[in-house]
Amino acid sequence: MNKYKLTVSHAPFWHDGDSLFQMNMNILLAALPAAIFGIFQFGASAFGVLALSVGSAMFWELVMNMVSKKPLSIGDLDAAVIGLMFGMMLPPITPWWVVITGTFVAVIVGKMIFGGIGANPFNPALIGMAILMLSWKAFFDFDTSLVDFVFDFTELAPLAAIKFQGAGAAEMFSVGDLFMGKEVGAIGSVFGLGLVLGGIYLILRGYIRWEISLSFIVGIIVTAFIFNMVNSENYAGPLFHLFSGYTLLGAFFLMTENSSSPVNTIPMFIYGFLGGLMIILMRNIGSYADGTVLAILLLNLVNPLIDNIRPKALGKGENNA
Amino acid sequence: MIKRSFFSLTQPRLKYDLLEADPKAPESIPIPPNLILLLNEALDNTKSIILKKGDKVKKGEKLSLYKDSTEYTISPVSGVINVIDTYSDDFGNKATYLVVRNDPQQASGEDIVKYELTDDIEVADQYLRTLPGAPPLKILASKENTIQTLVIMCTDQDILSTTAQYVAQSTMEEIKEGVRVLKRIANIMKMCLVVSQDTNMQTEFDGIQTFRVSKNYPSALPAMIMKDHLNMILPAGQSPEDVGVAFITAEAIVSIAKAYRTKTATYEKVLTVIGKDGQRHMIKATIGTPLRRIFNAFSLHINEKDRLIIGGPMKGFATYTHHHPVLPDMDTVIIQDRDLIPALSDNACINCGKCIKICPANIPVNLLVRLLEADQYEEAFDKFDLGSCIECGLCAYVCLARIPLYQYIRLGKHEFLKLKADA
Ligand code: SF4
Ligand code: SF4
Repeated sequence: MNKYKLTVSHAPFWHDGDSLFQMNMNILLAALPAAIFGIFQFGASAFGVLALSVGSAMFWELVMNMVSKKPLSIGDLDAAVIGLMFGMMLPPITPWWVVITGTFVAVIVGKMIFGGIGANPFNPALIGMAILMLSWKAFFDFDTSLVDFVFDFTELAPLAAIKFQGAGAAEMFSVGDLFMGKEVGAIGSVFGLGLVLGGIYLILRGYIRWEISLSFIVGIIVTAFIFNMVNSENYAGPLFHLFSGYTLLGAFFLMTENSSSPVNTIPMFIYGFLGGLMIILMRNIGSYADGTVLAILLLNLVNPLIDNIRPKALGKGENNA
Repeated sequence: MIKRSFFSLTQPRLKYDLLEADPKAPESIPIPPNLILLLNEALDNTKSIILKKGDKVKKGEKLSLYKDSTEYTISPVSGVINVIDTYSDDFGNKATYLVVRNDPQQASGEDIVKYELTDDIEVADQYLRTLPGAPPLKILASKENTIQTLVIMCTDQDILSTTAQYVAQSTMEEIKEGVRVLKRIANIMKMCLVVSQDTNMQTEFDGIQTFRVSKNYPSALPAMIMKDHLNMILPAGQSPEDVGVAFITAEAIVSIAKAYRTKTATYEKVLTVIGKDGQRHMIKATIGTPLRRIFNAFSLHINEKDRLIIGGPMKGFATYTHHHPVLPDMDTVIIQDRDLIPALSDNACINCGKCIKICPANIPVNLLVRLLEADQYEEAFDKFDLGSCIECGLCAYVCLARIPLYQYIRLGKHEFLKLKADA
């Protein structure tokens, strides 16, 4: 009796139009200023590393999709984001096999074996980084990696410099230079201004949770400030820490990875703040020059515990009038 | 469809639609030759049915399937029963539908049934349940819960609809009359009226409080009204009537008033019909009229794969046929173009947190969905607050992974209640 078939599905019949693709597209877009700056600063090899990283990350996901006979998921661009984040953390001169091993670990071990998007307890790109740093430490020494480059600014990786020469070395770097990318470092982490702009863009668009970024930055500043107050000879000041190493990349792109970070308000503040605190502790007390990678992974690990602090649902417990 | 704004640091705001200042009177749709009536009881082969194909029915006659049935419907016309068959809803619940062929010849004066309505809520419940607006007489007459508070809804619960506002605004005097009837026949301590914040409706009533709800969805849903205006938090897993609160639409009150005045039923339901162009039509149609008749009257087109939504865009349901009849509680019908139907996905939750930010009941939707996907309803209920959901649909509206969250939640509740009933 029906001439035609109607679509039958369930309420709500509207959607705000958002999707995974949209979100990842925006994250890629937001990371572009910093990435492009890195390419200009460090040249074609930096471009090669980024391209290989993004490409191989997507390739690994595709392979995994086919092996496990799951629907292809690279179209949601999640692998591309992992690849770009991973590439941005690498030194401009990184052997190709290091890059593709890293993305293999990031995509396969960091994401796919946990069940794919949304199921990863750790930030996949950071898993890739952590494994590489443990295996081939030498490739992550920015100073040796960039030894053949000539720059018109201090040719030393800031965090390594203070690690080995003491906080006094921080004076070689003006905060303005650091912010504007005049520093030695990873492809995507040197251009502070670009990262901040990208981060603000993502916050305004609602694609990252501002609570995490903000409290992370506060954590960095407060902790570094206290160290610096207590002993300014040994410990560099807050702004130096904020604008060097992976700090800003961490604030807007790494800490905020959805699946490995909390979603409730109070937990987000705790998580962000602890992230900042841990990084400074690792830099000032631990043996690592940067510490961002391990600090964030550590926070990923405790995230489920932190995120347990959630408001009472309607009609449960004490809000019951 | 309302898309997220480009900048969305703050929540998207879905707003209720306000009735225009000077609404046109609804257009009446003529009574169709065949009417379809829904009976909320499944056919049971083991019992002997008292309705048969070919039975003559009178206008206003009460129709039930079996001798001991408590469910009934009222025939809006005099005529002959043509079809009796099974109808199943969204959840696979079974009901029955009847097709009554309208025979205008038959409907002479003495063929219209008059009711012996006394000042007793149980008597009212015998005849008036399926009047336009679907008065909650079953709840009011129930011995299990005593209803202390009755909330009269002069505003629409879902977005887009303006039916309730229109009815309330155009029938204030009859609402007052209905309130007097209800005060007489039922023992309700408190009655209050809910209108939209921005309406200029005159709601001066003796001894009745007026609540003004904000225009942000979902402030007019029952649980939100209870929380914001009655200072009652609905305990998880309970319905308003469990705690002594009932909700009634303005249209239902008016129906009761008319029934007590004339001792007969009324059958004309007011509804908002929204075509693909977004244009709103206020119409009046006899309960049982197939929607197709209405669409034809306004030359509203439906094509293959379009969606026919009954109720609002947030809480309604989609029907598979344009023969679906007008029902007593049907306020809105929307034709959604197939190109505007948002695609869903079978993605997993990515923990983006949008649902957490928007949920008015503080439900950990991101965790809940994982349990619902694994069919762990009891744990979902005990640990992840399934029972607290007020069924607003906002989580699914914003879900980045486009998971049909609201459907999962409704199904989860349904399954949980089944589990409990079986236990
Ligand atoms: S439908 Fe979703 S947003 Fe609304 S109360 Fe339930 S869980 Fe929360
Ligand atoms: S909105 Fe959807 S994807 Fe995001 S946390 Fe909620 S359920 Fe998960």
